Amino acid sequence: MPKFNSPLMRSIAISAFILGALAVSRAPALAGAGHSGGHDAENSLQIGAPGKMSDVHRTIKITMEDNFYDKEKIVVRSGETVRFLIENKGEFVHEFNIGTAAMHADHQKEMLIMMEHGALEADKINMSMMKMDMGNGMTMNHDDPNSVLLEPGKTAEIIWTFPKEAELEFACNVPGHYESGMMGKISSQ
Amino acid sequence: MKQKFVRSILSGMLAAAAIAMSSTAYAANYDLTVDYVTIDTGETQTRGIGYNGSSPGPTLRFTKGETATIRVTNNLDQPTSIHWHGIILPYQMDGVPGISFPGIAPGGTFTYQFPVQQSGTYWFHSHSGFQEPDGAYGAILIAPQKREPFKFDREYVVVLKDKHPHSGARILRNLKMMPDYYNRKQRTLSDFIDDVSKNGLTPTLSERGDWGKMRMTPTDIEDVQGFVGLINGKSPRQNWTGLFKPNERVRLRFINASAMTYFDVRIPGLTMTVVQADGNNVQPVKVDEFRISVAETYDVIVQPKEEKAYGIMAQSMGRSGFAFASLAPRVGMRAEIPPRRTDAPLLTMADMGMDHSSMGGSGMDDMSGMDHSTMSEMAGMDHSGMGAPKADPFYASGSGLIPKAVNGGKFLSYSDLKAQKPLYADRPATREIELRLTGNMERYSWSINGIKYEDAEPIRLKYGERVRFKFINETMMSHPMHLHGMWSILDAGKGKWNPVKHTININPGTTVYSETEVDAPGEWAFHCHLTYHMATGMFRKVIVEGGPAVAALKNGSQ
Repeated sequence: MPKFNSPLMRSIAISAFILGALAVSRAPALAGAGHSGGHDAENSLQIGAPGKMSDVHRTIKITMEDNFYDKEKIVVRSGETVRFLIENKGEFVHEFNIGTAAMHADHQKEMLIMMEHGALEADKINMSMMKMDMGNGMTMNHDDPNSVLLEPGKTAEIIWTFPKEAELEFACNVPGHYESGMMGKISSQ
Repeated sequence: MKQKFVRSILSGMLAAAAIAMSSTAYAANYDLTVDYVTIDTGETQTRGIGYNGSSPGPTLRFTKGETATIRVTNNLDQPTSIHWHGIILPYQMDGVPGISFPGIAPGGTFTYQFPVQQSGTYWFHSHSGFQEPDGAYGAILIAPQKREPFKFDREYVVVLKDKHPHSGARILRNLKMMPDYYNRKQRTLSDFIDDVSKNGLTPTLSERGDWGKMRMTPTDIEDVQGFVGLINGKSPRQNWTGLFKPNERVRLRFINASAMTYFDVRIPGLTMTVVQADGNNVQPVKVDEFRISVAETYDVIVQPKEEKAYGIMAQSMGRSGFAFASLAPRVGMRAEIPPRRTDAPLLTMADMGMDHSSMGGSGMDDMSGMDHSTMSEMAGMDHSGMGAPKADPFYASGSGLIPKAVNGGKFLSYSDLKAQKPLYADRPATREIELRLTGNMERYSWSINGIKYEDAEPIRLKYGERVRFKFINETMMSHPMHLHGMWSILDAGKGKWNPVKHTININPGTTVYSETEVDAPGEWAFHCHLTYHMATGMFRKVIVEGGPAVAALKNGSQ
């Protein structure tokens, strides 16, 4: 479980999470860094939650290239809601994913399976395969609010409310990209 | 003894420091002398050949877009040459005596000059006689103009070498006299009796008969054994060491500058992300271990996180020798040498291209003919939690050479290599040229299509065509085929992502295709990079006809 020093902080964090979940009209289940399942609520408390446009005071542009981000690290204020505008200027598929190092490590295993099964190719996403049941009731569909997986030339937006304190990373979990350095620290002040 | 040991650790550290320091100095101009040097492995001191007084020679660094000027002065009493392995350049600068230029006479100086049109890890070596096995080699690093598609905090060159106490000339004399001179793993009468009791007399006799017809034996994986593996000129005892701070990304540029030896490379405790092969970036792939053929290069990124020494272990494919070095957070730390594999592989009938046990089943995924007996003793292998790994299509089904990672994890295959940025648009080849790799082990002579170099017509290519080479390995040894001057696009079944290489390994009993966009006029060498295979005839001259006139090159010294 995440560390919260007081019951008050804990309830603030939880309500932020609920508000955030309401703000986006997506699937209510908030996945971790990926589609790991099982620890969603726990992960979301650690990493923050989807935010509201009305809370946004700052937009951070993220450019993704082969195979790196234009930013080495991101600094946010404690509890800040940030709007990320993400553009893939590379020739390969890239991901922008907010999570802990452990969540990214888990997600990399899933992405490797996606690539081995042909759902993910170097330069394109096969959407029909992504929606296929992997046999355990889960799909490879990439619709988690804390991440976007973009084909070359595509753009996306994430509004994210960061927790009070957390050790987070933004990362691309396409096989081999994280290890090649396509990741950076998110530090909260 | 102890003192000597400490001294060799220190010299290893100094070498590490020198390599780290040289990474800041860029220069487009170099002066190299070719010298007789003493090569000290800590056990033997032999006379060899080096550059600027040392073997390996200095690491040459360039930046893409520069003009490289390298003045080479020959201080030997024999002719010499330097070939820039994998570098795209005018053919007169390619450094093959008798093809590119006349060579560099004793006391002479030759000035190489060429525009640097590529980036990545390469190497250079003598193309004269047996100077390369005798120590005449070094690394070339070319920085790109734009940033790399990967991030690293520091980098080291890791040059592998099979240093033999005998000179190259002596080795070939001995091989010619007795092809199994350096094969210490001959099967014995007691092996024969074991096989008879295991397999029965008739199959055993029939199997021995097949080997006899091939004039080879199942232990012919390394035909020159008895070497010491060196990393950056240091033996396992001398322990070359690269320093790191925990959590740093370290780029290791592996170059196999060996005469005859393939190495299986692992760093226990670290996953390696392969980011480059033969100087060209590949889509990153995480592996636990990889096999590096002679003359290939692989760049990997590792991220050691603990405050401890990690060992770089490179065991030869036939397990007759190994090279070892350390990555350490502090000077003086030394990684423990991991237990060596004792599973010396034996070639099988599949490697001979005549697998009697699985007639008709030669599909890529067909494992029925696989000889598990050759792999059952892999130490520390853990099959649990692993699905049946896909058969590597670049080995014959049932081959005794199929590699497995010591930790049961991922072993790099050619089929994992995908170009990061393809150099050429994909298009169908305009024609196919068949090259059967052939040899007679009994006479230690090697050839292409049954004809050795001195009796063969050159291969004629037309400027502008895309030629498809079909390599059929009819021998029982792996052959790393190296085409000079033009890239070889390996057909790994990846279409436009097929990796672009300068050296293509072809394993026994397999057929491998590579394609070349014929875009470099002139005359080039094309050969097996195993020194003694090349020397005895597995070699062709390639003539590229047509195309833009090759500019006359000024060279005052010749």
